[in-house]
Amino acid sequence: MTVKFLSLAIKGLKERSRDRRSVIFLLLFPIVLMVIFAFVFGSANSLGTGTAPHQIAVVNLDQGATVTVNNVTQHIDYGASFTQLLENITYPGTNTHMFALNNVSADQAQNMLKRGDLDALITIPENFSQALVSSANDSARAAALSDIGLRVLNESAAQTAASGQLPLTSAATSELPANTTLPTQSNVNAEVILEGNTGNVGFEAAQELISNVVEQYESQVQVAATSRADATLGQNNSSASVYQHVSAAVQPLTGTQSLTLFDYQASGIIVFALLMQVGSVAQDLARESDRGTLRRLKVSNMRSFDLLFGTLLTWIVIAVAQVLLLFGVAVALGFVWAGGANSIALAVLFGIIGGIASISLGLLLTSFTTNERQAAQLGVLISIPVAFLSGAFLPLPTEILGTAFGTTFEVYDLLPWTLVNDVLREILLYGSGLADVAVYAGLAIVLTAALFIVGVITYSRVRLRPE
Amino acid sequence: MQDRSADAYALQAQGLTKRYGGLIAVDDLTLHIYKGEIFGFLGPNGAGKTTAINMIIGLLSPTRGTVLINGRDRANAPKRSLGICPQELVLWEQLTCTENLKVVGDMYDLPAAVTVARTRSLLADLALSEKANTRVSQLSGGMKRRLNVALAVIHDPDIVLLDEPSAGLDPQSRLWLWDFIRSLKINEGKTIVLTTQAMEEADALSDRIAIIDHGKLLQLDTPGNLKKTVGSGDVIEMQLAEPELSETIMADLRSISGILEISDTDGKLKIRALDAVKLLPEILKRVDTTRTRISDIAIRENTLEDVFIYLTGRGLRE
Repeated sequence: MTVKFLSLAIKGLKERSRDRRSVIFLLLFPIVLMVIFAFVFGSANSLGTGTAPHQIAVVNLDQGATVTVNNVTQHIDYGASFTQLLENITYPGTNTHMFALNNVSADQAQNMLKRGDLDALITIPENFSQALVSSANDSARAAALSDIGLRVLNESAAQTAASGQLPLTSAATSELPANTTLPTQSNVNAEVILEGNTGNVGFEAAQELISNVVEQYESQVQVAATSRADATLGQNNSSASVYQHVSAAVQPLTGTQSLTLFDYQASGIIVFALLMQVGSVAQDLARESDRGTLRRLKVSNMRSFDLLFGTLLTWIVIAVAQVLLLFGVAVALGFVWAGGANSIALAVLFGIIGGIASISLGLLLTSFTTNERQAAQLGVLISIPVAFLSGAFLPLPTEILGTAFGTTFEVYDLLPWTLVNDVLREILLYGSGLADVAVYAGLAIVLTAALFIVGVITYSRVRLRPE
Repeated sequence: MQDRSADAYALQAQGLTKRYGGLIAVDDLTLHIYKGEIFGFLGPNGAGKTTAINMIIGLLSPTRGTVLINGRDRANAPKRSLGICPQELVLWEQLTCTENLKVVGDMYDLPAAVTVARTRSLLADLALSEKANTRVSQLSGGMKRRLNVALAVIHDPDIVLLDEPSAGLDPQSRLWLWDFIRSLKINEGKTIVLTTQAMEEADALSDRIAIIDHGKLLQLDTPGNLKKTVGSGDVIEMQLAEPELSETIMADLRSISGILEISDTDGKLKIRALDAVKLLPEILKRVDTTRTRISDIAIRENTLEDVFIYLTGRGLRE
């Protein structure tokens, strides 16, 4: 005697494997999509930059600086000012902002970078203001000395030789107006860190823009300092000196040095394939109703559990096949696989979870459709938008929902497929282990379980009870 | 003589009623079907046959009434007692004949060896052995219909409900199927409820026949008794050359003693009479006086179809 749910699972697998349309729809189509994505997005430089705002986050660690100008002491916060500049700056000749600033913590920003929700994470160092003050001082000193420097040098050459003192400061001071001193010279340098996926064209464009902004910002600080010095000394139009104390440095997101956009999207295509199950499951069950085979099963000893568990098993096997096949194709097409054998086992596990979520949605959908065709059409209508909303194809705009367990959740995380996509990317692309993705994985399981319960109850009530 | 004790009944429907809002699909239907009999269940389209059968097999909940299977309430009776062959072809197209039978066998918890043995036997009985490993999608319509019947009995049920099992079959396949149905009764002692639109089939196979219409039971008896007691007598069918005179002729013929009923369909008169052969000369004489010509005339015994039309009328249904 064959266990009933097993018999139904085997029946389902035989039907699916013999139905050419199913094989094309569930396996070949996602493979073709994978090949197309690898071709189009397999090169980091394959997209133009455009003039859309770049998604960035700024971690401002700047401590500020205290300066005394004309005996007035003040605290300067160039970090905040620079952040404000990034927020307000627009593309030349347009009202379009260059950057969309996301107000998140450093950890949250790191997660968003990995998910592709951010193009770049900018870290302003602690000594940013001090470095810019150094830069300003150097410029002011240069401006002050440019006019009187030679004269003072000539006058004090002998004094210098005798005392061994730095001639410019003492000598130049005597030439300055009353109550005025030359700015103190210091040699503080700061590096603004630009972190991102170096294979992502969005980061490539953003880091170029940001580097320019950093350079221009320092230049403006220097110009302002030069102007102040000129005004104090009654001079005109000294040219600002080029002393670079602030620079931008690119720091690739760990493990992304050689990644392309395709590497980022591969997990999304696997999730898309899993989402294709929604329509297929709904269509399958609608076909059982349409053709009366469900009635034949209902009058037998079959229980609701047998049908639902048998269906679940069938589609779990298909989900496993989808994950393994698409992963294999992705690797063959150049996907940078960071994990080992364990990562494949984990990917299969989360593929199954994504598959169960799709089956659950399929159960729900078929409960409210009147025939097979309607189920198929509705399946496509639902699975395509859900694929986009789960970030299967493209990064999504940031919509923070809240923070829990030290993790920031976005609105899209309410869809289990979003979480499965994130987890698959973490596991396969960044080589993360189960512990690293525990929060997302846990939420994915909870959401899938809830969806499954709703799907089973609804389908059982609508389709499996006597009319 | 049938055993009339309660144990003799394979299937009993008592006061079975199904309402859909204001519509009564089945109205207080009471049936007692004996073990081992072939029970014909006739009615025009929309009469309530399928609704009644669906309540009997548990797919529909009755608004009122009960169904007893072998004396037990349907809810407590083993599901294996019933086998259903729906009117539509209810098959898994991508599976082979053997695989279809195995799935249904598994659903009734049949041991694998029993399923294999019964599959082999049924496929042989229904001339499908050569197609055992052929996918259903590649079978002809007749083969599919025979497989549809096989699926109803793979689990060896006591009661088999066949809903128009021969619809769409060619004459050879139909005769083969009739033999199979008879063998289920004679060799395996099964009780068979046969729904059909083919009066000839019902007449040839059924021990008793129930005719229902508008959800109500109209008559229940053996085919012979039905033909004797309902619309009794012989039938003269007469095609008039001038159909427009049919009303006049019918009015005249009604005065002849022994004529029970006259009806007209497009100039074809159907005259039911107790002793039609004896009355025929008088009928012809009356028609002759109207100077109309008879283009065709036939005389035959009452049939089940006459009984059916007599009880359910000529109006078109759904």
